[in-house]
Amino acid sequence: MKLFSSYNRILLVISLTGLTFIGLLFYKTLSFYLDRQIDDGLLEELMEVQDFTHSKNILPAPNYYQDLVVEYKQILKLTNISTFADTTYYNPKKHRQEAARYLKTDISLGHQAYQVLIICSKVQRNEEILIICLIIIIPFLALLMILYLVNRVLIKRLWSPFRQLLMNIKSFNLNHDESFEPVTTTIEEFRELSTAIEDLSFKIRSDYKEIKLFTENASHEMMTPLAVINSRLDTMLQSTRLGAEESETLIDLYKATSKLTKLNQSLLLLVKIDNNLIMDTEKVSVMDMVMEKQAFFNELIHKRNIKIELHLDPVYLTVSRQLFDILINNMFSNAIRHNYDGGLINIKLTERHMAFSNTGNSGPLREELIFERFYKDPASEGTGLGLAILKQICNRQNYHLNYSYENQLHIFTVSFN
Amino acid sequence: MKVLIIEDEESLQKSIQQYITAEGRTCDCASTFDSAYQKLSIYDYDCILLDLTLPDGEGLELLRYLKKLNKTDGVLIISARDAIDQRIEGLQLGADDYLVKPFHLSELNARITAIIRRRNFAGNNLVVFREIEIDLNARKIKVNDQVLYLTRKEFDLLLYFIANKGKVISKAAAATHIWGDDADMADSYDFIYTHIKNMRKKLTDAGCKDYFQSVYGIGYKFTDS
Repeated sequence: MKLFSSYNRILLVISLTGLTFIGLLFYKTLSFYLDRQIDDGLLEELMEVQDFTHSKNILPAPNYYQDLVVEYKQILKLTNISTFADTTYYNPKKHRQEAARYLKTDISLGHQAYQVLIICSKVQRNEEILIICLIIIIPFLALLMILYLVNRVLIKRLWSPFRQLLMNIKSFNLNHDESFEPVTTTIEEFRELSTAIEDLSFKIRSDYKEIKLFTENASHEMMTPLAVINSRLDTMLQSTRLGAEESETLIDLYKATSKLTKLNQSLLLLVKIDNNLIMDTEKVSVMDMVMEKQAFFNELIHKRNIKIELHLDPVYLTVSRQLFDILINNMFSNAIRHNYDGGLINIKLTERHMAFSNTGNSGPLREELIFERFYKDPASEGTGLGLAILKQICNRQNYHLNYSYENQLHIFTVSFN
Repeated sequence: MKVLIIEDEESLQKSIQQYITAEGRTCDCASTFDSAYQKLSIYDYDCILLDLTLPDGEGLELLRYLKKLNKTDGVLIISARDAIDQRIEGLQLGADDYLVKPFHLSELNARITAIIRRRNFAGNNLVVFREIEIDLNARKIKVNDQVLYLTRKEFDLLLYFIANKGKVISKAAAATHIWGDDADMADSYDFIYTHIKNMRKKLTDAGCKDYFQSVYGIGYKFTDS
């Protein structure tokens, strides 16, 4: 729930309860007061009846006016009880039942006791109450409505820097060059928040830069010792005293060195892509590049009896040739490397997508993990960086890289925008 | 023929020197910017191996100096940094080639050979080894004056072996020469074997002597002895 709705909900409950309570109280008081007024009228009527009886010594004629009815009834014994209460009566003029108030009391005429019933209509009084209540409640509700609307607008405006801030935080990306955009506002809390986040983003950015620089330097520094190892191995290889055992050692050393070199090169490449150092964009024919790569890997594909199917549309893209070459290269070598002998590679290229599908020994891979750095199949000889590089290149070029597993095929799809 | 090795890493310098010194080729070494500067001022070289990061100076400066002296020595840059900008700048300043560390000595040797060949035999790009004659411009091979057809990769491999004749070339180095960065693919080593087997057969079928020697499954040697 939004902060504003939550706040409004509480406010609404309180105002409605308060309104009901106050309304009830108001209604009760007003009714009570007006009832008293009617009762006074009834008493006055009674007194008139009594005066009439005393002076004339007869009962006045029963009265059936529109809103005042006076009736008499002979009774046996005089009691001194007089009651005021609510009732309904039949209005003879309007021909309908109406709410009314009555006074029932006894009077004596000579030795005979009579019960007098005076009924007075409450219709007018009720109308009065209704009008008074409406006059008060309608403006009150209108006021509440206006307050709600003003609140809404005001809060929306007050929170707009916060919303902007949130948007800027969401659009902040370490891999992009734009720094975090601070929000200018007169509200101190938000200003503080903005400054704090800006500081944080600077810190994150500089830390990230440092890590990248460290990786780059470390990888570079390792290249010279690697060159020494490699050259020494090449020198040892020339020795005439080389036996079978030494040769085996040398093979392992060559392998390890080449793996380490590859790892270093991959790390450096990642840093380079991260740093946006490869920016030489030009128009390239993707179809030609795929066919060139196919020729490049031709022997490897044929030797393993891998069947290759190409469905290529002539597609041109404006990209960095170097990066795109690496992209196709990695997709190709993955499809070969993780295939089995006699397997299948299917390459489909359209204006929108490039998809490499290949058969493989493993079942579906875990999509959320495979693009992580150094994640690899335990059986894989690779560095575990190939797919991470793919992903990074796609991020750079704003392509979407997707993995799926259908019909026993691992499918890597690059969607161009 | 004289080669100057400008490299501050002594151990690397030594193994390079050991490897490429052969057949009338002499090597000179410089470990610092200053000593390299002096040697460049005094002597002429057929090829200069230039490391770009020297303890007391920038390697590219030496290249500028060389240009200023109007010398036409061949230059091969060997650098730990694989930056496109640097590569382009180096080549624009007159370097002939650019090799990124780490490299195989056989690769280095092949490149030095190519540079020297280009410098010394301008126009006439023929490599001759006994009965094998390779025309680099036309990419054609003749054995005993008969044209022999090799695939592109076989052609490159043969040239590579001839440039490193008498040396053992590891399968790793040969694979790197052919496949570049993808040489670590599981099958590429086997492939070197297949390539060489095919090439051997084509050569011997054409009446050529078998100059390939296998070395304990680690590599091959191309030699006439």
